[in-house]
Amino acid sequence: MKVKLKNVFVIYFLVSVIGLMYALLQLGQPCDCSQHLRSASDLMHGKDKKISQLLSEVKRLQARGKDSELEGQALPVIYAITPTYARLVQKAELVRISQTFLHVKNFHWIVVEDSPVKTQLVSELLAQSGLRFTHLHTETPKEHKLKESDPNWLKPRGVEQRNLALQWLRENRELSEEGVVYFADDDNTYSLRLFDEIRSTKRVSVWPVGLVGGLRFERPLVEKGRVVGFYTAWKPNRPFPMDMAGFAIALQLLLANREAQFDMLAERGYLESSLLQSLVSIEELEPRADNCTKVLVWHTRSEKPKMKQEELLQKQGLGSDPSIEV
Amino acid sequence: MLRKRNLLTTLLIVLPWALLLTVWHQYPTEANATAKARFNGTSPLREEGLPSCSWQQASGVSPKVIQNYVYSRPPPWSDTLPTIFVITPTYTRPVQKAELTRLANTFLHVQNLHWVVVEDSPRRTNLVSNLLEKAGLIFTHLNVESPQSLKMNGSRIPSHKPRGTLQRNLGLHWLRDSFNNTQPPEGVVYFADDDNTYSLELFEEMRYTRRVSVWPVAFAGGLRYESPIVSPAGKVVGWKVVFDPNRPFAIDMAGFAVSIRLILERPQATFKLEGIKGGYQESSLLKDLVTMDGLEPKAANCTKVLVWHTRTERPMLGNEGKHGFSDLRMEV
Repeated sequence: MKVKLKNVFVIYFLVSVIGLMYALLQLGQPCDCSQHLRSASDLMHGKDKKISQLLSEVKRLQARGKDSELEGQALPVIYAITPTYARLVQKAELVRISQTFLHVKNFHWIVVEDSPVKTQLVSELLAQSGLRFTHLHTETPKEHKLKESDPNWLKPRGVEQRNLALQWLRENRELSEEGVVYFADDDNTYSLRLFDEIRSTKRVSVWPVGLVGGLRFERPLVEKGRVVGFYTAWKPNRPFPMDMAGFAIALQLLLANREAQFDMLAERGYLESSLLQSLVSIEELEPRADNCTKVLVWHTRSEKPKMKQEELLQKQGLGSDPSIEV
Repeated sequence: MLRKRNLLTTLLIVLPWALLLTVWHQYPTEANATAKARFNGTSPLREEGLPSCSWQQASGVSPKVIQNYVYSRPPPWSDTLPTIFVITPTYTRPVQKAELTRLANTFLHVQNLHWVVVEDSPRRTNLVSNLLEKAGLIFTHLNVESPQSLKMNGSRIPSHKPRGTLQRNLGLHWLRDSFNNTQPPEGVVYFADDDNTYSLELFEEMRYTRRVSVWPVAFAGGLRYESPIVSPAGKVVGWKVVFDPNRPFAIDMAGFAVSIRLILERPQATFKLEGIKGGYQESSLLKDLVTMDGLEPKAANCTKVLVWHTRTERPMLGNEGKHGFSDLRMEV
């Protein structure tokens, strides 16, 4: 049969119109492809999970690899000396710095209580902390102790305790062991980067300390990689106008100078200098924290909690259960 | 003559088919796109560096809100552990960076923790953004500015005025926006102020909260610790507090956690701003969520202290003087 062009045209036209109508009708309907998409999304979800699992596995293996290579190099141990004394916020302070210290590799915490005996609170806390620790204690003689009403700067605090820790190190560590000693008070705040800076100490390293000396920060002044002075507003004529948290000393330096220790009778603010002046000169100080331009440690202090209601209750003999440790 | 005609005819034959094909090609992909968006909405958490999405509320009463979701690669994330969403309101002051640093050091130990930091600020500050990015936690960074009347003033700190309310509400709002009520994730919401101290055990106690769980808080309400009173049967029957024990929930912000499911089920439950007396903020939220007998006591039937309401002293910055002394470019 001869196909007439005209017929072909007509057929095409009709088919096209029908097709177009069908497509236009389809537009109105909701797409029924959610089923197909859900299975696709499930597949992606599963793949996602697999990827995150593999990534964490890789990270874990990398970390293990790094650890073993570093242990081969013997990472210097950081000894943090923390004097502490019993007061309401003691447990809270120790808990939160222990949480920071748990992140630091090759860390040894030396806690020295201002107490005639080792208290149960600190003993249990240290045992549960998961850290390597040494628990010491020594009581500050009465005449040097602060009374309740004294302002906190009236007498130097923690001197006997820090000296005891230094003595312990001298009796229990050899010159051959690599280590760095840092005086970490229990109410300060430490960033994790600080410990990387501490670890590289060769003799005495220094860095800025935030919120101290009546300033936003105090810091050593550095020129051409050497310390040339100190940026401080309070008693700037001290030999070492720095805070306890602003320096670290190589263990070997302390072991080589067995007489160096903190002077109980030092004038206010001269405690740090009383130790450092027998160990190092200003030119030998090693600046850290990007040439002393970054604040990695803050001299925070905690408020004394208000116990008004507790005191009232105790007067009536209804004080809170003392067996519940706070 | 015939050739031209042939060409014309072929063209006319092909034309309708071409049109049909182009029309058909477009519409199915549009339907695909809407389905993809729905899928994306349920699993936003694993993406890195989403582009910012900002919107502003037009109403004159509520403050302007600018949101941005930024996530970072987390420490090992388990698919089976319930997530702990920690909402922390914060505001700029000298100790802010220190407080957030030590909080981050604590949270890094907790698995499946999602930190929601809400700044009391007209825009997200660089200090907090940088800190969060470097911390290595999963986080959400939000901000909303408190109106002047409620703002923290450096010299006078009105301790009876509710603080952080708008910020906590924004955190709740974000949670309700991000999660579908029909398929709520397993998890719990905790309001953690940036100056308190939290033990790691606390987070494991709250993780499996079914509705609202409670525990003692040290140094709250002028006592060594405030605590719920738990009957021998393990139900909360009262409050061992001295400051206004008649409050519906005489508990500190750090003393309770709410399950995500409950938050999503009750979208009207928020902290109230107006007319709230000191100490009633927690009740203003909890009364819409649960009754006293629905509370779950934790921490060994509320006999252990796992969180301390510590406060950090305002540092003495007297030597800065009137015009400042230290270099402002150094971030503290």
